[in-house]
Amino acid sequence: MIDLDPGAPLDIHRAKVLPEWIDWNGHMNVGYYVVAFDKATDTLCQQFGVGWEYTREKIGMTFVIEAHVTYDREVKEGDGLRITTQILDHDAKRIHYMHEMYHADEGYLAATNELMLMNIDFATRRSAPWPDWAMPRIEKAATAHARLPRPKQAGRLIGIKRK
Amino acid sequence: MTVKLTYDMPELVTRAPLDIHRSTVLPEWVDWNGHMNVAFYVAAFDQASGSFMRNMGLGRNYVDNKLGMTFVLETHVTYDREMRGGAPMRFTTQLLDRDAKRVHVFHEMYHAEQGYLAATNETIVMNIDYATRRSAPWPKQAAERLEAVWATHKELPRPAKSGRMMGLKKS
Repeated sequence: MIDLDPGAPLDIHRAKVLPEWIDWNGHMNVGYYVVAFDKATDTLCQQFGVGWEYTREKIGMTFVIEAHVTYDREVKEGDGLRITTQILDHDAKRIHYMHEMYHADEGYLAATNELMLMNIDFATRRSAPWPDWAMPRIEKAATAHARLPRPKQAGRLIGIKRK
Repeated sequence: MTVKLTYDMPELVTRAPLDIHRSTVLPEWVDWNGHMNVAFYVAAFDQASGSFMRNMGLGRNYVDNKLGMTFVLETHVTYDREMRGGAPMRFTTQLLDRDAKRVHVFHEMYHAEQGYLAATNETIVMNIDYATRRSAPWPKQAAERLEAVWATHKELPRPAKSGRMMGLKKS
């Protein structure tokens, strides 16, 4: 298992906007922002020892049960992306966290993604407590991230705000 | 000045909710968990938003004629049940609110054969001026169609899964 990164927020995930992620509006399509964010979730899961190998070895899986995305600015084909991740809360089988996507060169915030992730037992495909190797890692990261200010995009309701 | 839509409009559907969009889970949407990946639920819902916009007269023609575009500003998804590769999907769409340049819609995705609710998506879509790529009022013809849709949709009850805020509910 990899060493736990001590950063708060976690700031290790990098990506690039692929040509097939572009839609007829000439920018990254809304669905592919979530593709990019989901890969950042893989990076987070890797930190806790519940990444790809966890599923390949038929031990468990992680399912997203809810997601909220704010689309703040456009990104174009070939743009570099930097995605940071902040844990907001967790319990015995869930993690509530927020990704922020930045344009890697220009630095602007492109999007945010608030997520609820649940641990799943491989055999039953039902929710189950985090495995014993993952929980101390989650606790350690959550403690470090608890010192961060709460992102302003967290806990948003969808609606048309009238002035 | 409002943009004039110069192409043919599809017949307007005002039945509430809108229940016209159908799709199939593509093999490339399936991830290592053996089900449709979270991102492709959003891609599938985006196509349902496309159907809603087309009903307003703002489909692909709107962009191809360089008149305007529609951008999603914000979206909220609940993942209720898994969908496997090849699964047929039925979408319903309810208009929850609208203003001069935005719509607030709520999609429900059902397994078309087994009937279960697979996911919901609440989303805000904004009209965009083609040249400036900035928000702009709906073209007049689209606004009229939107009002006709709103007249029936506003009578529907609010969906239970709309207006959700994320968090761990601790009992």
